[in-house]
Amino acid sequence: MTDPITIEVTRHKLEGIANEMQSTLLRSSFSPIVKEGLDASAGLFTADGQTLAQACAIPIHLATLIPVLQRIIHDFPPDRMHPEDTFLLNDPYAGGTHLPDIAIVQPIIVNGQVMAFSAAMTHHQDMGGMSAGSVPTNATEIYQEGLRLPPLKLRDAGVENATLVRIIRQNVRIPDTVMGDINAQVAACKIGARRVTELAGKFGHNALTAIFDELLTRSEVMTRQALQRIPAGTYRYVDYLDNDGIDLEQPIRIAVAVTVGGGRIHIDFTGTSDQVRGPLNCVPSGSLAAACFAIRALTDPAIPTNAGCFRPISLHLPDGSLVNPREPAPVNARTSTIKRIASSIVAALADVLPDRVPAPSAGEMLMLAFGGRHPDGGNFVTGDLVASGSGASATSDGVGVIETDATNCMNLPAEAMEMATPIRLHRVALRAGSGGNGRFRGGAGTIREYEVLVDNVTFTHRGERHYSAARGVFGGGDGARAESVIARADGTEQIIPSKIVTRLMRGDRVIVKTAGGAGYGDQAMRDPARTAADAADGVI
Amino acid sequence: MRGEIGVDIGGTFTDVVCRLDDGTVRIAKLPTTSGDPSRAVLAALQMAEREWHLAPADITRFVHGTTVATNAVLERKGARIGLITTEGFRDVLEIGRQMRHQMYDLVLQPETPVFLAPGRFRKEVTERLDAHGNTLTALDEASVLRAVAELTALDVRAIAVCLLFSFLDPTHERRIRELIQQRHPTLMVSLSSDVDPAFREYERTCVTAFDAYIKPVVADYLANLEQGLAAAGVTVPLQMMQSRGGLMSASVARQRPVRLFLSGPAGGVVGGMEAARAAGFENVITVDIGGTSCDIALITDAAPLLRNEGEIDGYPVRVPMVDVTAIGSGGGSIAWIDGAGSLKVGPLSAGANPGPACYGRGGASPTVTDASVVLGFIDPANFAGGTMRLQPERAFEAIDRVIARPLGMTVEQAAIGIHRVLNAQMAEAIRLVSIGRGIDPRGYALLPLGGGGPMHACALADDLGIMSIVVPAHPGVLSASGLLGAPVAHEVATAFPCPLATLDPTALADALRALDEQCHTLMRREGIADAEVAHFADVCYIGQSYHLQVKLTASDAATIYAAFLAAHAQVYGHSTSAPATIVNLRTVHQAFMGSVATQASAAPATGAPGTRAIRIASGPVQATIWQRGSIPPDTIVAGPAIIEQADTTILMEPGWTARRTAGDALLLERHA
Repeated sequence: MTDPITIEVTRHKLEGIANEMQSTLLRSSFSPIVKEGLDASAGLFTADGQTLAQACAIPIHLATLIPVLQRIIHDFPPDRMHPEDTFLLNDPYAGGTHLPDIAIVQPIIVNGQVMAFSAAMTHHQDMGGMSAGSVPTNATEIYQEGLRLPPLKLRDAGVENATLVRIIRQNVRIPDTVMGDINAQVAACKIGARRVTELAGKFGHNALTAIFDELLTRSEVMTRQALQRIPAGTYRYVDYLDNDGIDLEQPIRIAVAVTVGGGRIHIDFTGTSDQVRGPLNCVPSGSLAAACFAIRALTDPAIPTNAGCFRPISLHLPDGSLVNPREPAPVNARTSTIKRIASSIVAALADVLPDRVPAPSAGEMLMLAFGGRHPDGGNFVTGDLVASGSGASATSDGVGVIETDATNCMNLPAEAMEMATPIRLHRVALRAGSGGNGRFRGGAGTIREYEVLVDNVTFTHRGERHYSAARGVFGGGDGARAESVIARADGTEQIIPSKIVTRLMRGDRVIVKTAGGAGYGDQAMRDPARTAADAADGVI
Repeated sequence: MRGEIGVDIGGTFTDVVCRLDDGTVRIAKLPTTSGDPSRAVLAALQMAEREWHLAPADITRFVHGTTVATNAVLERKGARIGLITTEGFRDVLEIGRQMRHQMYDLVLQPETPVFLAPGRFRKEVTERLDAHGNTLTALDEASVLRAVAELTALDVRAIAVCLLFSFLDPTHERRIRELIQQRHPTLMVSLSSDVDPAFREYERTCVTAFDAYIKPVVADYLANLEQGLAAAGVTVPLQMMQSRGGLMSASVARQRPVRLFLSGPAGGVVGGMEAARAAGFENVITVDIGGTSCDIALITDAAPLLRNEGEIDGYPVRVPMVDVTAIGSGGGSIAWIDGAGSLKVGPLSAGANPGPACYGRGGASPTVTDASVVLGFIDPANFAGGTMRLQPERAFEAIDRVIARPLGMTVEQAAIGIHRVLNAQMAEAIRLVSIGRGIDPRGYALLPLGGGGPMHACALADDLGIMSIVVPAHPGVLSASGLLGAPVAHEVATAFPCPLATLDPTALADALRALDEQCHTLMRREGIADAEVAHFADVCYIGQSYHLQVKLTASDAATIYAAFLAAHAQVYGHSTSAPATIVNLRTVHQAFMGSVATQASAAPATGAPGTRAIRIASGPVQATIWQRGSIPPDTIVAGPAIIEQADTTILMEPGWTARRTAGDALLLERHA
């Protein structure tokens, strides 16, 4: 066995390489969703497709490249790969997540043999389909969601696949941005390949492969140890998503039974709704990402992230359900589902870990997309990602308007939005009184008010928590539910039923109010000084 | 005798550097007086007169680096302030960008500096500009007076004003200042259009609110200090180090105190730059390894790399700062073993108290310094110039108990392991810092600073492919000497949103001329008529939200575009022919006041080198042991060797040689 010092030194190298890939990816991408939303990640994988090191700006990317690697290895035998091959896919039913996420993979070949892969995944601003931004809440088939790319070669022995590039450019609304972001992914993968090759030159191919195995084993051991510190048992939680964007009266049930014991964690989704007509369906990699987030949050975040951390996890995902849909079910809005799965797994453990698990956060990450034409004729596509309130804990109030659980996105500055698009913001405010009351109160949601300044803007609103609140714990109150309306220029008002795709005309305003986090403990126990300060600061 | 004085106040020591007219440089360390830091400055003055015979009236320049601005924030001791915003936007400061730093923490804490102005201290006024700077709603002065009255009723000492799109037209903000000052002449005001005229309202609000928050504190501190200096007989005006590594007069500093946040580290980077330049290097990476942290900075073409978006205490502060990255690894970092039997170093540190086990002050955890003692790098009898006697048996015991036995290895193997893991961490951090800025470290020299830097320099250079290391004469007081070497510098920026395709070179030239006039005024206030002038533009691809700074050599679009493409290719590794736009314009005026590089002193050359057995990764070797002051000028020291001096220990690995070079520095070169 390699000595423990060399193993640890190599681990620093591998994480350094993943960070360098990620740094390149984020810095050289074009689109705001990568720059402001950090919706991209990069990592290194073993020759058989297990995660070695991943730089992950948001937890939703945890483990999501694993099915991609499996599929690429299956479709393109590694012994015929060339060091300057680059593979690509975005098909959720072939290892992808949803269509805007394109995965790029490059083999790392040393002595004529694939010894690792570098890979990067980016959420692209547009992949075509029925609405700008490619996340139509009213899609009922994946064919409507955009251009679907099976596992393909983007570069064959260094030569770019010009046909593929032309097809992509022809099918997306902002081809320069999409290709710029793809190039950033390719650049990130090249850096990974170059540095791992250097590392192999230093340590030797076989020794390095042995270290890879040892690193995975070590993370597995530590994850199992940490799981053993959670009281053994089966814990359940049920929560609801508002609707699927199509059947607006039909809430979607998420049921988890979390069994912890013997250094393992098993999550059974029996009781979760069947797959839905709208795009809230979530392919299996999404549930795995949610489970990974929950494990990292509940165990020890210092454990190096690699495939070893994921080995103690097993999932039961009923066939044909929301969490294991059959083709061609639409999947573009799966982020909402993953977030709720992650928070439900954590909430299931609230009773056995009362000091560590806070009251539920609203967990609403409202996604807005606007697309249309500038007065001078050019197209614009823009989006905003709006957070909600976090849950209170045993010792502190929740935080207003902050990202929680599986995502971690920035909002768009009003000035950035107004300079780039014919949209004006009239209000960016805390939503007073929206946090659930309690000994410690939940964090507030936010109010944002947008006015479009041109006609014929395609508008997508994908909310959550419009119909089911974040539920208070130990006597704390529920967080306020979200509310959104369209105030038309003609004076009429239209309530947005959580999800909508519609058209806005000049002077129409969209007013969104995101949900509040839940309270913890009885309101009667609250320190009066906190209540007085809240009143003076306009929080309640 | 006349002379110049630089005083840098750090957490533990106040460093004083004095350059006398005859060219000699004197150095002293005094304990920092934490209650009133200015007392240490005045103590330095007395010492200069007593020890160096420099009377206060003969001081020709007095330069100061301070942590007063930073401490006011870290200790939450700034002033009570109010914030005035555009109607509808009073909560921008509290909402921020909604991201969290700790991704896996379930219990969250606020990510924004709400403490600067909680809700009751934030007021809205009626007014609105559009994204082109046109007035949509005129300023309602009654709403301003109402807001100001409410804030003054709350006893605020300063008011920050941040209106939407004020960087395109500051008229409303300026009128608000007039209205405040007419009624409350002593109330301090910070306008976002002055502090940071650039888009993105949260970041601009933050930096403006920080400016207001520390303005009364900095004003009090500087008034107190200036009074003390005047009373002592100092006649020259006080100069302050700014975060960007240039000096400005105290009278300007109190107008824009937010520029003082990295005053101390900026001195270190400028000192490193001076030392490197004296030794003939223009491109260096400075690595300052102290007890608990390691600060990394880059110097390119003899200028410190700056960033236009810095941070204080984790909050964004959008003013130019030396680009210093800190990681939590240092000589006091504690080694431990995780649940799977992996050796870890840091981020916990033994600090100065109890300190490493070998200090014998009750520390039981093995640290990097303990490993250095076990390996023979540090002579227990000659640590810190012999002022402190180490207990090597405690270092052995701690490493044996915590690391060696559990891992089934010898104490020496464990100690080597601690160094290798720490070095790997630091090397990856240096690589990420440099490559993230488009710089290949192999083209740079390494300049180690702090007590720990020279111990790890060879290992870091080997890992990074760096061929040269410059060790300055006194790595420990470089911040203070940087104060005397820094230029007086002023910088003025403005938003200038303009696609290159529609750029009018005349409009560009007019905008730059207006900026230059503002800068000229600032420089004239410092008594400087002639300055080096450089113009910059922030440029990005249309649709891209992060920009690159491009030096302007001509005002035509083609030249600017070509420079942007080159910068993009350098930083990001690729560029495309997509259309680009200017975002901001910036002018920098600077004037150098002279260099502090010391003359190579004639070495006493007493005593031959000794030898000592040390252990390096390849095994035990006999190292030559030199005292730095006794290395004869033309001697080449070959590794393995150890060079000792009062403030640090230089470890030279095999394959490296060292010789004295210009500026009294040591130049280490790799030959293997």
